[in-house]
Amino acid sequence: MTATNLADIEYVVRTIAQTAVDKEKEFGDFDAVVGDGDLGYSLARGFEKVLADWDSYKREDVSTFLQQIAVTITSRIGGSSGPLWGTAFLRASVTAKQFNEITGTAAVAMLRAATDGIKARGNSDLGDKTLLDALVPATDELERMITSGANAADCREAFAKSTRERAEATSELEAKRGRASYSGERSIGSPDAGALAVAIIIERIVAGWPER
Amino acid sequence: MKKFVNNPQQFVPEMLEGLALANPDTLKYVPEYNLIMRADGPDQNKVSIVQGSGSGHEPAHVMIVGKGMLDAACPGDVFAAPPFDYVHETTKLMASPKGVLLLVNNYTGDKMVFEMAQEMSAAEGVNVKTLFINDDVSVEDSTYTIGRRGVAGNFFVIKAVAAAAERGADLDEVIRVGEKVNSVTRTMGVALTACTPPAKGSPLFELGEDEIELGVGIHGEPGRRRAKIMPANDIVEELLTPIVKDLPFSDGDRVALMVNGLGGTPISELYLLYGQAHKRLAEQGITVGRSYVGEYCTSLDMAGASITLVRLDDEIESLLNDPAEIPIRVF
Repeated sequence: MTATNLADIEYVVRTIAQTAVDKEKEFGDFDAVVGDGDLGYSLARGFEKVLADWDSYKREDVSTFLQQIAVTITSRIGGSSGPLWGTAFLRASVTAKQFNEITGTAAVAMLRAATDGIKARGNSDLGDKTLLDALVPATDELERMITSGANAADCREAFAKSTRERAEATSELEAKRGRASYSGERSIGSPDAGALAVAIIIERIVAGWPER
Repeated sequence: MKKFVNNPQQFVPEMLEGLALANPDTLKYVPEYNLIMRADGPDQNKVSIVQGSGSGHEPAHVMIVGKGMLDAACPGDVFAAPPFDYVHETTKLMASPKGVLLLVNNYTGDKMVFEMAQEMSAAEGVNVKTLFINDDVSVEDSTYTIGRRGVAGNFFVIKAVAAAAERGADLDEVIRVGEKVNSVTRTMGVALTACTPPAKGSPLFELGEDEIELGVGIHGEPGRRRAKIMPANDIVEELLTPIVKDLPFSDGDRVALMVNGLGGTPISELYLLYGQAHKRLAEQGITVGRSYVGEYCTSLDMAGASITLVRLDDEIESLLNDPAEIPIRVF
């Protein structure tokens, strides 16, 4: 594992954490439309702990680093979001062990492991109006771009654009998982809060990449 | 509602502290993780058996830690799954070379936390597996759960896997035993009153003076139906019939019969129920080989009871017959 790779992963995790903290109110407002309004609060409490513990994490390799993040957020994020986001980081961590270098292909594999983990842990799938409806098709798009030989910057832009479009498109879906599912048909017309949060996070990661 | 309580937030830690002080030679209390473990544990020569759940079900599970039963129990707050980091740290602390088995009653919150802790600990090199218990026949889904709930029948799974572990079985063998016992164990409960969590201070749900809840869960979740109070023998029939039909238990079967109090029912009433259940089983050609009457898995101060049947074979009966030493059985 190269030091450069770890620096990239650190940038990604730090941006996720900082965005979750900065956007606490906005994420909460998304969730209040049909959910119980605690998404912003929950994510912020988990990721502010990540920032607070930042210097204490071991940095032997990407996998070890990500696993410690998984422990922190699973422990600190309340409700079901803790185990769901924690599983995503844990599965990405385990998958990272298969790669000597975190290339675009490795990133796709880690994203797939993360979304598969969320599906398994939450007993959910595409169409249930969750963040999966944004992240899974966006990962498909990222993979398609990489396979087509597009340059790295174009791949990143396409990934962010696809996540945003798919997140907005969750408006058409009826919530089948989580607290939002209690709203049933009334959830149609508003996008899923988790999907929108993921879109905003990925847009920040992509926008800041050149100066990371 | 009058309770023995200081600060409701400290209800569980104060209970655990008392338990540890009362059993200094056999139990150890690790306050950082709400953990009660055998004072001599973890035994490096056997699989460690750990159960976690919300509190409020005592003696399950902190008071059934001891030789031949649990190696450790890690409870959450009253009726709340333990936090992930408690389960994760407990799993690592209890890791023996032969592995760790996490036993969990099938509730959504507990399931998510324990599966996550298992996966995390396994990624860190701990040999750990999880077994879910779902003995309740009354409903498939309920307020807290996906699929059948785990209730008082978990006692039999714990007893059998713990005996197998003491005899030296490896982790796969212990799981085989646990799955087998779970598959032949059926329970159904009834509430005469609601229960009162210390932090809430008032009853968790409304049950009329002349009403009972048939098929109630161990947190007072709704069951099959609400009925008017009826004679005890009729209540036994309401519980026993669905249990017998479910497995089904049949003529010639040999069973363990448990009448479990839910916390607020006198033992005298439990024996009254037991007598009728025993006789009704005998009339159907079902022989009671082992009997259990008392409080095993409660719902705070709820008046009520559950009936559990386990179909015995030589292996299960032998495991249930092995010695065990736990706080609630010390004279």
